[in-house]
Amino acid sequence: MRNRLISSRLNKRRPLRWIFTGGIITCALFLIAAKKVISWTSTDKYCMSCHIHPHAEQTWRLGTHYNNSSGVVTHCVECHLAPKGKGYLYTKAKHGLKDLYGYLFKDSADINWESKKLIENAKKFVYEESCLECHQNLFPVTLSKEGSDAHLFYTLSSDPPRCINCHLGVGHFDRSLIHARDTSFGVTKSAEAVVFTEPAKVEKFENFTEKIPGTGVSFRMIAVEGGTFRMGSPDNEPLREPDEGPVREVSLSPFWIGEVEVTWDEYLAFFRETSSQGRTEGQVVTSRKVDAVSGPTPPWGAPDQGWGKGSRPAITMTWHAANVYCRWLSMKTGKKYRLPTEAEWEYACRGGTQTPYFFEGDPKKFTSEGFFKKIFRPDTSNIASYVVYKVNSSSRTAPPGQVKPNPLGIKNMSGNVAEFCSDYYSESAYAADSVRVDPRGPSEGQERVIRGGSFKSDARDVRSAARDHTKTKAWLTTDPQMPKSIWWYSDCIDVGFRVVCEPDSQILTKK
Amino acid sequence: MKKIDRRKFIGNAAVAGLGLAGAAALIEGCGRKKTAEPAGLPPVLRGAPKGRKLKAGLVGAGGRGTGAAINFISAGPDLEIIGVADVFQDKIDACRERFASFGLPIPAENCFTGFDGYKKLMAIEEIDVVILATPPRFRPDHFLEAVTQKKHVFMEKPVAVDPTGIRSILATAKKAEAIGINVVTGTQRRHQEDYIETYKQVASGAIGRITSAKAYWNQDHVWFRLREPGWNDMEYMIRNWNNFIWLSGDHILDTHVHNIDVVNWFMGKHPERAIGYGGRHRRVTGDQYDFFSVDFDYGSGISSHSMCRQIDGCANGTGEIVVGTEGYTNCQNTIWDLDGKIIWKFEYPPDENGNPTNSLRIPSYVQEHMHLVWAIRTGNYVNEAEQTAYSTLTAIMGREAAYTGRLVTWDDILKSDLKLGPEKIEMGPVDMKFEPPVPGLPVQV
Repeated sequence: MRNRLISSRLNKRRPLRWIFTGGIITCALFLIAAKKVISWTSTDKYCMSCHIHPHAEQTWRLGTHYNNSSGVVTHCVECHLAPKGKGYLYTKAKHGLKDLYGYLFKDSADINWESKKLIENAKKFVYEESCLECHQNLFPVTLSKEGSDAHLFYTLSSDPPRCINCHLGVGHFDRSLIHARDTSFGVTKSAEAVVFTEPAKVEKFENFTEKIPGTGVSFRMIAVEGGTFRMGSPDNEPLREPDEGPVREVSLSPFWIGEVEVTWDEYLAFFRETSSQGRTEGQVVTSRKVDAVSGPTPPWGAPDQGWGKGSRPAITMTWHAANVYCRWLSMKTGKKYRLPTEAEWEYACRGGTQTPYFFEGDPKKFTSEGFFKKIFRPDTSNIASYVVYKVNSSSRTAPPGQVKPNPLGIKNMSGNVAEFCSDYYSESAYAADSVRVDPRGPSEGQERVIRGGSFKSDARDVRSAARDHTKTKAWLTTDPQMPKSIWWYSDCIDVGFRVVCEPDSQILTKK
Repeated sequence: MKKIDRRKFIGNAAVAGLGLAGAAALIEGCGRKKTAEPAGLPPVLRGAPKGRKLKAGLVGAGGRGTGAAINFISAGPDLEIIGVADVFQDKIDACRERFASFGLPIPAENCFTGFDGYKKLMAIEEIDVVILATPPRFRPDHFLEAVTQKKHVFMEKPVAVDPTGIRSILATAKKAEAIGINVVTGTQRRHQEDYIETYKQVASGAIGRITSAKAYWNQDHVWFRLREPGWNDMEYMIRNWNNFIWLSGDHILDTHVHNIDVVNWFMGKHPERAIGYGGRHRRVTGDQYDFFSVDFDYGSGISSHSMCRQIDGCANGTGEIVVGTEGYTNCQNTIWDLDGKIIWKFEYPPDENGNPTNSLRIPSYVQEHMHLVWAIRTGNYVNEAEQTAYSTLTAIMGREAAYTGRLVTWDDILKSDLKLGPEKIEMGPVDMKFEPPVPGLPVQV
């Protein structure tokens, strides 16, 4: 009786057992298959079956993660996914879905691959934990003095930079990404046909071409008549920020302003003549009493980012360096050169307009930000012919010939590189200003105003009223020197400047 | 302590040391009294354990260097000095004579003169340990070369004279740690049993929460050398290194760093900023100050008053005082309550006849070498470079505060590019001005 009961129970259980066993086998097979799929989709070959964009594979093979003396090859997923057990599957799913979407709905040729190389973008798909997974000893005995200082800073800092802040070119080789002091930078110059012996003589308040004595370098200065304008953006301007107001009437005396941003040719003339070896020496120039100008130390890395120099705007110099440049230029030419005030900058940029841009257009239509712009392309008509910005820049500066000027004949006020102003930045500077005649901004502060947006900017940030400021600490993150350079920003590649010249009173009366 | 006379001291230590070498050999290393404390405190040993023979090279064969070499061989069985590097031949000769007189000759072919002698010494394969005891200006380069050549290191304090050197030491310390190179430094108070026991009392709350400290090294004038005919600028400065800032870092580093190190140790951190005074009244040669008084601010209202002086006929004494909410201590052996009543005292071991003493059986100068040998032979890793670099940097911060008259913060000094001394280190004339620093600005008349 008892036995029968048991056997009948067993009989009843048998199908269950089969289902159970079958389930285990299915699961096992599924897991094995899944594992195969995961490892197959993590091979270099699989990655490169889609990532066929220019140089992805070639630059990898040329880089130190492939081409090194140890013979060890670092594979795509070892950098571009988190390490196994530390978010590997999650990041694989995340990037996989994104790539699948791109594969199905985007055209590879339309993707701005160049911009992926910028550090702020590279951070999104190169994992710090993955760097550290392999690079466990940050202090190998063979590490150089500079490397030791930098890694010491990395370990001592409460908010350390990423590995790729300094080691950006290790995965995909790029000749211009040198992370070392470039002592040969700008030292050799090509033979110049004309060498000016005298600066330009200016008799009247009108446009003129300045000549830097002792060099073949010249540049155009545009005369800007004095006047009154409404500075800032009204509350109803699309995509404005609160620091652009309140709008107020500002009166300005006449001044000249550079037709284009200071070029590498101009800046290198200064660099060659004044460059100094030690920073201590450089610091002396902050005292006004010194009559000989001592200028920049050799830069760190390639300041021109390998894009070329010539008429491209000079970049990566600090605000201090730009300021010393103006003092040097004043000494060379006997005129009063300086950085523009924020009010002068906006007045010159607007050139009499009171619209968001100095040309026609609506920021809302031009901007690439927002969900719908991911699907529908932003409007680029008009703006693309005046401004070098995110959409048309290929993530680098452009020579000034590529754009049309503003109503005063000035180029690249908006876009290309953002420009230093002499004012300290304050969010509430406009409300606090009680002078309104040739205002010079707050009397003290931490960071300086920069204006105009750059080749990295969205259309929103190249509006005439858009304001921004220097970020000294962030822009020196990877400078391994202690103390950090006062001449070169190690981590800012899209800010330069343009000069203003003050006419003396006799010239104005001769008008 | 009335007067520190290095040479005299070394003489005593040498005699004591040699006796100990024999004693240690008898004990055969089985006498390790205690293991390292969980708090990372050094072990207190009666002798280094037996093990593989360790051959050492000495860099800097002056008084302290020769003394340290003798301390090393006194630390336990099978320890040898087999090579010496020094800038000057006469120093090497004196050191070799000394060792020959013990019956432990150092082969002449392992001795190297000149500024690069240390490289040749460290290139010797069979050397396991190097003792770095030159003027501190050269220490960072020597330490880096030692670790590059995979030699275990004993190095004297201070470990550098400027922030550039300190950062080099910090990075090299990490390189050493990565490959298991042991490093012990000459801040010997950290190896003294009486200090260690007092520290344990304080760490377990014997004086409550620490509220302030005082550190002082006030003594008579120290040795100096007048220039002799035939000496070029560089030779003169190195022979008189104890009086030149770029070579010694000034006496706030050279000697007072011991007290500063103890205060950092008991506080459990380094100060955040310093304001200091100093000056020069009685010194005969060089460019150093002969007194400093520095307020080291540890944050949260806690300060340590640091003073050091090298002038004859003044109120002298050396030591540390740490004051807490419930009592205070001299850090060395005694704890008082706030009324001045002794509440704890370290008991020194009795001598052979059972009479009470007030000193440790093993001098701390030897104890630190026992620690190094113990670490190498037992695999209990030790690396004191970072802690001594931070104490040296603390002293540098105080020194610069006194020299300039300004407030100097930890961040300022850690990142400073100050580098002392001529760009090129070579024998011959040196184009440098040696004027003692003057703080602040002149009054505009």
